[in-house]
Amino acid sequence: MSSTNNQDFLPRSQKWLQISGWLLPFLYVLIVAALYGAFLYAPRERVMGEVQRIFYFHLGSAWNCFLAFFAVALAGVLYLVTRNEFWDHVAAASAEIGIVFATIVLATGSIWARPIWNTWWPWGDPRVTTMLVLWLIYVAYLILRSSLPDGEKKFKLCAVFGIIGFLDVPIVWMSIRWWRTIHPVVIASSGGGLAPKMVHALMIAVPAFTVLYLTALLLRTAMHLHQGVARELNQAVLERGRP
Amino acid sequence: MRSLKLIWILAEKDLRLEYRSRQAFLTTFFFALLILVVFQFAFDPGSTALREAAPGVLWTALLFPGVIQLNRSFQLEKEEGTLHGILLSPVERSLLFSGKFLANWVFLVAIDLLIVVAFVIFFNFSFEAKLAWILLLILLASAGFSAVGTLFAAMVSGIRTREVLLPILLFPIIVPTILAAVNGTQEVLLRHQPQFLVRWIQLLSAFDIIFLAVAFIVFDYVLDE
Repeated sequence: MSSTNNQDFLPRSQKWLQISGWLLPFLYVLIVAALYGAFLYAPRERVMGEVQRIFYFHLGSAWNCFLAFFAVALAGVLYLVTRNEFWDHVAAASAEIGIVFATIVLATGSIWARPIWNTWWPWGDPRVTTMLVLWLIYVAYLILRSSLPDGEKKFKLCAVFGIIGFLDVPIVWMSIRWWRTIHPVVIASSGGGLAPKMVHALMIAVPAFTVLYLTALLLRTAMHLHQGVARELNQAVLERGRP
Repeated sequence: MRSLKLIWILAEKDLRLEYRSRQAFLTTFFFALLILVVFQFAFDPGSTALREAAPGVLWTALLFPGVIQLNRSFQLEKEEGTLHGILLSPVERSLLFSGKFLANWVFLVAIDLLIVVAFVIFFNFSFEAKLAWILLLILLASAGFSAVGTLFAAMVSGIRTREVLLPILLFPIIVPTILAAVNGTQEVLLRHQPQFLVRWIQLLSAFDIIFLAVAFIVFDYVLDE
């Protein structure tokens, strides 16, 4: 009784694949520029040394991770309003990419924190702990996705969880900040005064990662859509084969 | 008025069922008791380390049995096919949520109070007036826990792996509740800084209001029979 048919979206997905094809050369240039900016153009940080260069990738991933999780919630709302399976494909794709970015944020942060803060995992920093909770929420989202058979029920439940997960982010942030300010805060927030060349490198790295996100989103959404088409064809064949 | 009455009928049905069998109540209470005892073995009993960790142990002991109860609240209905009957009756889905939420909340508060008594005895705190603050924390924290938990329990009720899926979905979302409850309890039992306790109570209340409203609205989408 699906009100939407994945096959209707096939022409549209062809167009996305085309767009992502056009984006790819652009993406290559941006990523090379971002690498150049981070490793060669930006000056060596006086106190932290070379390890500070990880910051450009760290921040680029962090921004896109929030963008991706916002897209999951937005697509969830749009699914519940329109009941169009297309939005579930977008949410699924965006959650997967968001988790990759969140993992990069946690990994690069940990690599940076070891020499600078002398700890792999600074529980004292609210940003780190919030990012970890965020990561847990969206891994739970993917586990929920994988435990349900495709269908309207799955799309609805995942939309609801995606919305609740995103609404939870500011409350998690507040609670963890209060939790840590009660205990002595060892770590003051760094940054603030960035050298102009560092700002330039950042201004390339963030858009480069954003284009990476958009390209991946197009490709991944198209892939989920094609999986949906394959599922529908499979069902049609099974139904026709029945005596 | 009619809605309130319907909510009470739905909640009272679950509570009466539990009162007559006392099956879940005894099981979850025993489970919580075991957690309190296991922590005594994990740490050195009577040590300052364990005393410092006591608020965390208390809320761990309340958390896991709570999940069992939440899972049960829709499981029984599914098994007996009674959920179908409720859905067929002229009751709005949001009222069904409210009824289930109320029953879970009352159940959890009742069991939490008993566990606090066991906790005070096992951890050698004293029964004094300030425990009233812990009662308030329990009321607020289990409201948020039941609000999100009842919604998620309804969501996973049809899934084969629901027993493990419910805590996986629930725990990351209720991180603010756990933090506020543990730290609030710490202020009451160990640190005595009222301004921080008030802050945690505010956070718990905000969480309750936001997620009760959200769960009330979206519950309509998660049950379809």
